[in-house]
Amino acid sequence: MSRPVSRPAIVGALLRKELRAYSRDTIYLLLTLVVLVAIPIAFIFLPDSVDETLTLGVAPPVSDLVEDATETFREMGATDEQLAELRNADFTEEQEGLLLVEFETEDELRRVIAGELEAWRADDGALVLRDTEAGDEKPNDAERLSVGIGIAFPPTFISDVSTGREAVTVTVYSDADVPEEIQGAMESFVREAAYQLAGQRLPVTLPEEDFVVLGEDRMGDQVALQDRFRPLVLFMVLLMETFSMASLVSTEVLQRTVTAVLVTPARIGDFLFAKTAFGTAMSLGQALFVLLIIGGLTAQNWSLVLTVLVMASIMFTGIALFVGASGKDFMGQLFYTMLFTIPLLIPTFAVLFPGTAAVWVRVLPSYPIIDTLYAAMTYGTTWADAAGSLAYAAAWLVVLYGAGLIALRRKVASL
Amino acid sequence: MTTPAIKVENLCFSYGDIEAVKNVSFEVMPGEILGFLGPNGAGKSTTIKVLTGQMPPKSGRAEILGKETGRDDPEVQAQIGVCFEEKNLYLNMTALENLDFYASLFGIKDADSMEVLRRVGLADRAKDRVHSFSKGMRQRMMISRAFINKPKVLFLDEPTDGLDPVTSAAIRKTIKEEAERGAAVLLTTHDMFEADELSNRIAFINEGQIVALDTAENLKLKYGTRSVRVRLRDGEGVREEHIQLDADGTSSRLAELAASPDLMTIHTEEATLEAIFIELTGRGLEG
Repeated sequence: MSRPVSRPAIVGALLRKELRAYSRDTIYLLLTLVVLVAIPIAFIFLPDSVDETLTLGVAPPVSDLVEDATETFREMGATDEQLAELRNADFTEEQEGLLLVEFETEDELRRVIAGELEAWRADDGALVLRDTEAGDEKPNDAERLSVGIGIAFPPTFISDVSTGREAVTVTVYSDADVPEEIQGAMESFVREAAYQLAGQRLPVTLPEEDFVVLGEDRMGDQVALQDRFRPLVLFMVLLMETFSMASLVSTEVLQRTVTAVLVTPARIGDFLFAKTAFGTAMSLGQALFVLLIIGGLTAQNWSLVLTVLVMASIMFTGIALFVGASGKDFMGQLFYTMLFTIPLLIPTFAVLFPGTAAVWVRVLPSYPIIDTLYAAMTYGTTWADAAGSLAYAAAWLVVLYGAGLIALRRKVASL
Repeated sequence: MTTPAIKVENLCFSYGDIEAVKNVSFEVMPGEILGFLGPNGAGKSTTIKVLTGQMPPKSGRAEILGKETGRDDPEVQAQIGVCFEEKNLYLNMTALENLDFYASLFGIKDADSMEVLRRVGLADRAKDRVHSFSKGMRQRMMISRAFINKPKVLFLDEPTDGLDPVTSAAIRKTIKEEAERGAAVLLTTHDMFEADELSNRIAFINEGQIVALDTAENLKLKYGTRSVRVRLRDGEGVREEHIQLDADGTSSRLAELAASPDLMTIHTEEATLEAIFIELTGRGLEG
């Protein structure tokens, strides 16, 4: 004989059932596997640091240019000691983020940048060029150099420019991948070098410069791709879980098992609570698991990150409830999932490709979530700094979760 | 005086402008099976949905075990068992897990789910997932789920619809057992034989209204005609004659036929429930 049953007991029974249904579905398990294994593995292969060194090819070697211009330097007042120092200087050592690679000829420089030759730096500092098409062996104890841009000077560049004897042509070779800013900087460098050698000032009056970095100066400590991807990875976890959860809800609605549940002492509130608790727990649990693998939690940011993840999990559960109640079949469910998730993904790209996010991107519900996650995990944003974003996220949470609850409640009532 | 397990007074329900149930009134006593006989769309399932609390009535009153329905009362819900027309089972769960889950919703800690499965002949498939079950097995699962809490009131919506005769007979047997245990059973069906065999009383429902409610015998007496069918040799063939027992001159005609050397057989003819339904509503039960 049945006895009065408590609400927690009913919710507990519903949660056990959810877990069983989840663990028995191949698609859900596959998605979980992707979330817990594939995504973290893919993340690990992302670069965890940013190479800020600019590798610049030069032809001919600087020493050759100096040698040719010895008389010119003497005329400019250089002493023998200074000239000797200049000749013996090693320009190929990395200095302030600039690595100079000296090529004997312009043709070598051009072919390396064009990818026809490989440039390697041996342990003794010698430059080794490898022609892979000709079958050259890979040099031992050498490090490959990535030369994307280079300047080819005429051998008499210094003397020609300083004496102003004739027009000089300097060629800047650049790989198509090199940003325009770097290409422009090289052109400016050549122009200014020519002015300096000619003993002239630039035809402008430069103002006093006082360079102030607002916020944290990331010079030498730029945000690595892994750090940029971290919020995206967490977001992907939540998205996958949203799809699984929506499927669970949809199956329950389409097979009308919920109707059978609701003619027992279980109420619609128990059903909705169990769905919310299960969806949130699964999303949050998987997001935390992945977060532990990919890193990002610190003693300073854990409480803020955790709070944002809880909010995001509830928000996405609300979306799952809505999608599950709206989709009439698998394709319908996929359509509604995409309808929500594609716009919600957009703010993650604002993090991947920094710049000022457009106003409409900032309006999206996922923006405050991603923005806060990124800021907390990358810059150590405090609770006070994130208060505005959190409030905005909370407002969206109420809207989306409320919409999910209402949609599912109405759907169940209509069965 | 025994309180009705189900008491319905002037119950109305409509889907928008469509009136699905119109001023329906009836009672079902403990241990009684009331057959709700009517074609598809007559309002049978809607009445069950209202009585089981799935939908609130638009007007009128419905009570289960003396308590008004539609008030989300767990005490009432704990005493009812429902077998839906749709096979809404958890397909990825085993038969045993399905029953144990529903038992836990009723707060039954020591549910003998195996015994319930044994009653419907599914004990040997207890640990198989329901998606591997045939239609008949799923229907037996539906019945067993409705029994899991030993309900005082059972709502069975087309429990043998589309099943083979053997499975149907097995299910009818368990329904009778539940009634003998004391459960009040509201059985909806459009199968007149099932209604005739199981029901203590039958309600004919058509277009949302009960058009007749009585025992099968009384309905037949009230709305049917008493007659006999006589088969006679007619040369090389056979001819049939239907004789109304209540008509004038029947006795003499029967005596005459009995003495005839051409008489082959005489069968009494009883009005079928379907014939009565057609007479009352002008439409068949399969419509």
